[in-house]
Amino acid sequence: MKPPPFEYGVAESVGEAVALLQRYDGEARVLAGGQSLVPLLNMRLARPAALIDLNRVRELDFVRASGNTITIGAMTRQRSVERSPDVQRQNALLHAATQNIGHPQIRNRGTMGGSLAHAHPASEYQAAAVALDARFTLAGPSGTRSVDAAEFFVTYLTTAIEPDEVLTEIAWPALSPGAGWSLIEVARRHGDFALAGVAATLTPDARGRCAEARIALFGVGPTALRARGAERTLTGAALEGGVFDEAAVSAEREIDEPPSDVHASGEYRRHLVGVLTRRALREAAARAGVATSTGVA
Amino acid sequence: MSEAMAARRTVSVTVNGVAHERVIDARLTLVDFLRGELGMTGTHVGCEHGLCGACTVLLDGQAVRSCILLAVQADGAAITTVEGLATGGQLHPIQEAFMEAHGLQCGFCTPGFLMAVTELLEGTPDPTEDEIRDVLGGNLCRCTGYEAILASVKLAAAKLRALRGTVAGDG
Amino acid sequence: MVEFPQSIDDLPTSMPRWVGQPIPRVEDRSLLTGQTEFVDNITLPGMLHCAIVRSPYAHARIKSVDVSAAAKVPGVVAIVTGEDARRETRPIYTAPPGWGGNCLAADKVRFAGEPVAALAATSRYIAEDAAELIEVEYEPLEVVTDAEASVREGAPLLFEERGTNVMYQRKFVWGDVDAAFAAADHVVTERFRWHRVGANPMETFGVVSQWDPIEGTLTCRGSFQVQGFSATGAAATFGIPLNKVRFIAQPHGGSFGGKGGQRGTTITTMLSRKSGGRPVKWIEDRIEYLSAGGGQAWDRHYEASLALTKDGRMTGLRVRLLDDLGGSAEGYGAIGAAKPLASFTGCYTIEAAEYDLTIAATNKLPCSAYRGMGPPPHNMVLEQLVDIAARELRVDPAELRRRNFIPKDAFPYVIPSGNEYDSGDYEATLDAALALADYAGLRARQDEARRDGRLFGIGVVSTIEPGVFNSNVYSLVGFPGGTAQPEGVTLGIDLFGTITARVGFAHEGQGQHTVISQIVADYFGVEPDRVRVVVQDSMNAPPGYGPGGSRLGVAVSAATLGAADRLKDKLIRVAAKLMEANPAEVELMDGKLRIKGTTGAEMPIGQVAATMLTRSDLLPDDMEPNPQATYVWTAPGRTMPDESGRVKSYLTAANACHVVAVEIDRQTGEVRIDKYAIADDCGTRLNPAIVAGMTQGGLAQGVAAALLEEYVYDENGQLLTSTFMDYLLPTIYEVPIPDKTEIVTPSPFTPLGAKGMGEAAIHTAPAAIVSAINDALAPFGLRATETPVTPNRLWKLLQQAKG
Repeated sequence: MKPPPFEYGVAESVGEAVALLQRYDGEARVLAGGQSLVPLLNMRLARPAALIDLNRVRELDFVRASGNTITIGAMTRQRSVERSPDVQRQNALLHAATQNIGHPQIRNRGTMGGSLAHAHPASEYQAAAVALDARFTLAGPSGTRSVDAAEFFVTYLTTAIEPDEVLTEIAWPALSPGAGWSLIEVARRHGDFALAGVAATLTPDARGRCAEARIALFGVGPTALRARGAERTLTGAALEGGVFDEAAVSAEREIDEPPSDVHASGEYRRHLVGVLTRRALREAAARAGVATSTGVA
Repeated sequence: MSEAMAARRTVSVTVNGVAHERVIDARLTLVDFLRGELGMTGTHVGCEHGLCGACTVLLDGQAVRSCILLAVQADGAAITTVEGLATGGQLHPIQEAFMEAHGLQCGFCTPGFLMAVTELLEGTPDPTEDEIRDVLGGNLCRCTGYEAILASVKLAAAKLRALRGTVAGDG
Repeated sequence: MVEFPQSIDDLPTSMPRWVGQPIPRVEDRSLLTGQTEFVDNITLPGMLHCAIVRSPYAHARIKSVDVSAAAKVPGVVAIVTGEDARRETRPIYTAPPGWGGNCLAADKVRFAGEPVAALAATSRYIAEDAAELIEVEYEPLEVVTDAEASVREGAPLLFEERGTNVMYQRKFVWGDVDAAFAAADHVVTERFRWHRVGANPMETFGVVSQWDPIEGTLTCRGSFQVQGFSATGAAATFGIPLNKVRFIAQPHGGSFGGKGGQRGTTITTMLSRKSGGRPVKWIEDRIEYLSAGGGQAWDRHYEASLALTKDGRMTGLRVRLLDDLGGSAEGYGAIGAAKPLASFTGCYTIEAAEYDLTIAATNKLPCSAYRGMGPPPHNMVLEQLVDIAARELRVDPAELRRRNFIPKDAFPYVIPSGNEYDSGDYEATLDAALALADYAGLRARQDEARRDGRLFGIGVVSTIEPGVFNSNVYSLVGFPGGTAQPEGVTLGIDLFGTITARVGFAHEGQGQHTVISQIVADYFGVEPDRVRVVVQDSMNAPPGYGPGGSRLGVAVSAATLGAADRLKDKLIRVAAKLMEANPAEVELMDGKLRIKGTTGAEMPIGQVAATMLTRSDLLPDDMEPNPQATYVWTAPGRTMPDESGRVKSYLTAANACHVVAVEIDRQTGEVRIDKYAIADDCGTRLNPAIVAGMTQGGLAQGVAAALLEEYVYDENGQLLTSTFMDYLLPTIYEVPIPDKTEIVTPSPFTPLGAKGMGEAAIHTAPAAIVSAINDALAPFGLRATETPVTPNRLWKLLQQAKG
């Protein structure tokens, strides 16, 4: 388990990185935290001609809160995100998603951009980005462009980043005032990728009805996906038991055939979507301060 | 660009306070660099895909897995390995605690645990059990079933607090 | 005649004993500072690094191997293929014999990952680059991965010349089993499937082999669990005299039986020969370990029945086992099917038993040894039958076990399969565990949970851990060995009066060097950390086997005491001459030789030893100037199996009772361990902290076998769990930290009364957890019979309870 040979260089700016990517014409990869890429190199499952190290691009390491958005540089370590008071204050879901990534030893090195660009469909970051409609800024030879989460995650381990582009920053809308949130999953072990998971936010209006619902399902398809039907079911409804059940049934039906692997069948994953959606909505409602009729979860 | 793209690079690091410079293949992992180039074999290789934690070292004070970090990425960094814990023939209080609480059996994973715990107790002198588990959860041990490791970390924290208390009192 | 102390109190010291204390280990300073010389730390002048080319197919004929491109890579020094192996080596020894091949396959491959070629280069990086360039052409063959399919007529044959995939078949019958079942009031029967799990020490196997072309000698440094056994295997494989083979066991990072390494050792030796004698290192990487190493064991299909009277007395046991050994019998996995004979009927007075054993070949990795060596699945099966019977008889499961326990005054007790249990008090262990767990309280919580519609279950399981293995029982499946299982220790006192113990096994994790130090410290009146334990290589060590089968703690303490007794006799004779006394009047106490019943007349052992080494004129006439003594211990009273396979094998029988409560999430199938209590009895505890560590470590592996770990193959024989992403070792979050208590019934058969206990809780935990799960499922009439009990499997089962 030793990496194949490759050329290596350090980019000190986004511009440099993009220029190098162009030079290698699709044969180079950028190296962020390396927590997913280097294992693939060790297994020789990835064989880039060159690695362009972004770890010294200082301009990509920041957490900036402004108004209703937190913008985070792609090379910001997950540990920094986890410890950011701005994130903790403005976006509890993002904070929880960060804490759910592996273990501190991984978060010390892993970056937000690296994790999102790896695009594992069971990633908590991907789920949070899809739930919250995070926006992604990509820098390329002809300048920058911005894509939203739905566009960014194309399929399993594939994003909208072009071979000569670099993900530079991610803008996270703050949770609405008064919103409750939940991030729950079933995994074989603590810290493992989820067999299935749900990220949800619920914003009640003054009368305790649902003003806005956001539900992202992860680990059950090629990318995390929004349960739009379930969200519609909830919007405008009184936040209590029955509607959560309806939303859960809807979520279960909204997904395509979920993947089967050694840990879980597609059928089981689909079932978990229903169970976890119901539980996530209850938890989010409780966090929003809405008293719901409980019953057996 | 600090240097042009190349398959071989010069790397300068400080390991346990001693400076080293080598010209190496860019693909050399940090753990292979420490063990093979510098002969510092206290850091162990357990899985080479970042999941067991046996190779954990401190990179500028932070616990990282040295099997999924390229040595070239550590250029300019200060690294601490298990060989850097004991001083003057005296075990570090964390090492003492592991010995007294029987926190190791085969000892192969132990250097990784020690380094992860070192970072924890540097930043969190009085960790809760949840905080300890958060860190220990990133390292695999196949011998102990973790019970004695957990006890060792609690003992180590108490030892370090007592030591700091003494130093503070003296100062 | 050597005299052994019968208990710790008999040790010649008036001070508080070191033995029996949880003292820190002598091994630890070196480990904690990163100084211990694990095999991968070794660099020898001119050393090369090996990479191995492995078959991507599970079953295929090899058409051609082209190494020409690899040979041109700068840095590549030697390449070997299956043809070389066939010419230069004999097939690797297997049990049963004749079901294997050479270290590199020449004609056909029988599992994905089987080595077909290898090379040595100046770095592992270059070796892996070049290995990719070796081109092997295969003709894929039909694959069989399921043992039930492989034993059917018409299945593709792994070894065509054998005409079958059945490697071994024998039906053992002990007692009148038919009569017991015919007369039974109740017979419970169930089928079980135990999927593959395995050792996974944190250090994989590694070796540095060096062939000396001038002398024709071979030196291998490696993480050998049993260096003498490995050296013998190498001499046989290469057809060279054993006195030209030196195996050096490096300290190693765990083994649990799963270090394997025969192929790697043979391949590196071939490469060293081919490179003119340069040392060649091979460190198995983790993917090689998981997919092609010594890490898989116990792939089993069971059908079993238990016969009982209406008052709940167990009278007969039938176990049919189809054991899937994989693509060859090289890993000694078959002995895992023989070892259950040592504790076949568990803690119970079952008088008639039958074992219908079939071992089959499939296109998967050959199975190896693993901690517990076979009984953990067997215990799971037996204990589930007991629970099913308890439910059918409407008796509390703890009570049904109690009724059938071998009574404490019945020891030594011979079980139907011929093994003899030394001592025990199974009822005391059960009661201690029930009290510790607050069994009545747990049942009350269960009632409450059931009223709330929650799935809460309690498992109560008692098992035996056979201790101090003997090869006699393994010989039933063709393992080489008889009744002698030697372990030797040499003790010596030097000119400075310091004591050294020389042994033939390396540090592996169980702390036996510490135990030796404790015994020597008490025996000769020194501090344990003043005793040096030195590991000798296979040429210098006294006859010995090493760790395995919960033997070494007992074996090495007995050998240490034997050597100490012999050394003491020498010292007494010399001291008697020096003190002008009759040797019968001289005794050893607190590290001094003294005349019994007097004060003042005494000599420290160091002074006596120094006199021996320097003043032959003062010694008794027939005394050599040698203050050293060796004792090689083997378990007494062992015989070969009789015609029905009955055999007195393991010397001791430790006992444990686990009480575990679980709650199952009815919707997700997740299992949460709510309560875990352990009471165990391994006789005298030589170092209680080490015992506690073994118990907890065995528990972690047992819990993981019940809930997490599984090697999964697809129908093409491809391993789907070849990384730590998918083969799930437990982390701190998955291992319960139980309440523990102990019962002590010393063994009458071992010096100091200790029983083998290194495998520990892995014997009990899988059975106990499955019992608890099934107790939770009982109201639905459901039963989990397949391990690991994953959330997906439990959910699927619970689907049957809908409504």
